[in-house]
Amino acid sequence: MSWSQRLAALLPGAVERDAGGTEPDPRFTFANERTFLAWSRTALALVVAGLGIVQLLPPFPGVPAGRHLLGVPLIALGAVLAIVAYTEWVRNQRALRRGEPLPRSVMPLVLAATITGMAIISGIVLLVSALR
Amino acid sequence: MTSPPREPAGDGPEERDSGLARERTALSWTRTAISFAALGGVVLKQNVITGLIILAIAPVVWQLGRVSRGPAPGAADQLPGRSVVGATRLFVIAVSIVAVALLCLVVAILGRSAPGALR
Repeated sequence: MSWSQRLAALLPGAVERDAGGTEPDPRFTFANERTFLAWSRTALALVVAGLGIVQLLPPFPGVPAGRHLLGVPLIALGAVLAIVAYTEWVRNQRALRRGEPLPRSVMPLVLAATITGMAIISGIVLLVSALR
Repeated sequence: MTSPPREPAGDGPEERDSGLARERTALSWTRTAISFAALGGVVLKQNVITGLIILAIAPVVWQLGRVSRGPAPGAADQLPGRSVVGATRLFVIAVSIVAVALLCLVVAILGRSAPGALR
């Protein structure tokens, strides 16, 4: 399946037309929806954190772009997380309808890797700032 | 492939009544709407128009969660054509977050900052 076909399969119309399998237990459907909403709130929290870093933190001495270096990736990750959360919801809902095992989520790995990366960048920025 | 048969209801409150799942989901929608409002409030201090746009999304999100608070599937008072979960609602949320993130990127890069506000 090509990328364009994969993207088209994620659009709401295609998802709602895909009536394969049977309607799952409503509790599972609600749980899937709550998971999506929880990731959405995580994405919004990342956006707020990024904006707060850029707009409210004092400048780092010797690292003029330090605040943007820390804040902009967080805001961008918020956008990415929202898209991935939706694709995960679609995959999970399809698996629930067909009675298949739930696919493994890449979200925790993406979030953990980004937080680790941001922590390392923060440490470097603070170190450089303290040494100047 | 057919879906596995549903397990018989257990003794737990969640097994007896899926209404609790519905209620938790409705509360989750409310929390998401509040998150949008909180972000709008933060942006409002930096850029009034952008903040108001994000604040306006909050009641829309709250309204989108309305379906989760509706009658149970198959209930007599369920509106025809209304599914328990609609991909469109969740797609709108994802697109809204991407739009909000882009707006915040513009505010972060081009907007006036208040450096030292957290000093």
